[in-house]
Amino acid sequence: MKEIKYEAALAELQSIVNKMENNELDIDQMSDQLKRAQELIKLCKDKLTKTDEEIKKILAEK
Amino acid sequence: MNEKRLTLYELNSLVREVLECEMPDEYWVEAELSECRESRGHCYMELIQKDETTATPIAKASARCWASKWMIVRPYFERTTGQQLHAGMKVLLKVYAQFHEAYGFSWIVTDIDPTYTLGDMARKRQEIIRQLKEEGVFDLQKELRLPMFCQHIAVISSETAAGYGDFCNQLADNPYGFQFQTQLYPAIMQGEEVEQSIINALERIYHYQSSNINSPFDAVVIIRGGGATSDMSGFDTLALAENVANFPLPIITGIGHDRDESILDMVSHTRVKTPTAAAVLLIDHLKEVLDAINDAQERITHQAHQKISTLHLQLSAFSEAIPRLFSIVRTRQEARLETLYQRILSRIQQKTITAQAENHHLEQRLVTALQRRLISESHRMEMLEEKVRALDPTLLLKRGYSITLFKGKAVHDPKALQQGDEIETRLEKGTIKSIIK
Repeated sequence: MKEIKYEAALAELQSIVNKMENNELDIDQMSDQLKRAQELIKLCKDKLTKTDEEIKKILAEK
Repeated sequence: MNEKRLTLYELNSLVREVLECEMPDEYWVEAELSECRESRGHCYMELIQKDETTATPIAKASARCWASKWMIVRPYFERTTGQQLHAGMKVLLKVYAQFHEAYGFSWIVTDIDPTYTLGDMARKRQEIIRQLKEEGVFDLQKELRLPMFCQHIAVISSETAAGYGDFCNQLADNPYGFQFQTQLYPAIMQGEEVEQSIINALERIYHYQSSNINSPFDAVVIIRGGGATSDMSGFDTLALAENVANFPLPIITGIGHDRDESILDMVSHTRVKTPTAAAVLLIDHLKEVLDAINDAQERITHQAHQKISTLHLQLSAFSEAIPRLFSIVRTRQEARLETLYQRILSRIQQKTITAQAENHHLEQRLVTALQRRLISESHRMEMLEEKVRALDPTLLLKRGYSITLFKGKAVHDPKALQQGDEIETRLEKGTIKSIIK
């Protein structure tokens, strides 16, 4: 997956939720979209973890 | 002209006799000295009285003090007034009249009251002070400030005076290693010429100051010391006081005397007693500046250290706060992600349930429909079975009917058969094979 910014990932995730809640997806798309949603969530969480670690590392350097 | 002629000597003798008879007493007389000189131990004076308003002489006389008296009177007078008898001085003299045939009239001084002169000097001083104050110059020097780095000093002194040497040595040997630059402006510091001599020196300093803008003097020091006498009258003149008061540089006096301040001292920026004290003052002043600089340096360093440590503290507080703040952000973001995920899951679940329900419903309908269909079909089958059963040939065979078959098929029309065809006749209990004839 190419590098996606946190906010973009979150926006995409939000749009998936919106589509689901507005019944815009049929059953066949569901699993694909769920898979995509999980990827996005993992990406976001990884980014959060990475940022946290980076902050700690940067602060420890000084 | 038969009148008796007298020789000059006879006539003068006559005058002397008259005077000696008629004025045998001693008198106290107030007068101003217009001249005063010593010769062979005697003191010769010229007395004068001026009209108070026009200042023109209205009385004049010679006076003398014989050495026998003078050697007693003079030290007392000088000790009391701090001054020698000099022209312009007001004196109170005890005199008797003397007329000498050869030398003429003269008042013979037997005593001098120094307190009268002192009073007169004080009055004159007061007059000068009043005039200086009226001119608004009395405190001018006090308004000047010694420069912080007061190191380039113009010195007015007698070149040979011990006090000048003391001053220079004191400056050079200061314990802090301060460098002073001095320039001597020689002046006469005793007697009649003091006033003009010091004024000339000040003018030379002023001239130097205006033509050396890059290395000007910081202050002027007027010193005097080592002289035997303490004749201060030269330092109490209006012209000198005016010159000093109006001088643009601070002037420090160290003209060493025990009596009251001279007017020069009063109008100067600072007065000290001795040349050495003047040097000490300059050294102390520079030391104060050095102390102030050191103090400022210490305070700046202290302040800077304090500031830096405060900033350090602030920074560490920030450093500690950042991960905490970020963890809040992170928690919030994770919660948000979780919510979104839950919404997705719940929608999927819902959708699945709906779909399953639909399937189930359809399945039910299908089952029902199938069952119904099965039932109806089985009915039909039964009816057909009934029919089939009714049509079963075995029943006919049992009743005695038979079936003729040709090539496995029932023969309904004899015309379909030809001679030689083998036919088969089925009976209830067996088959007969025949050939057509």
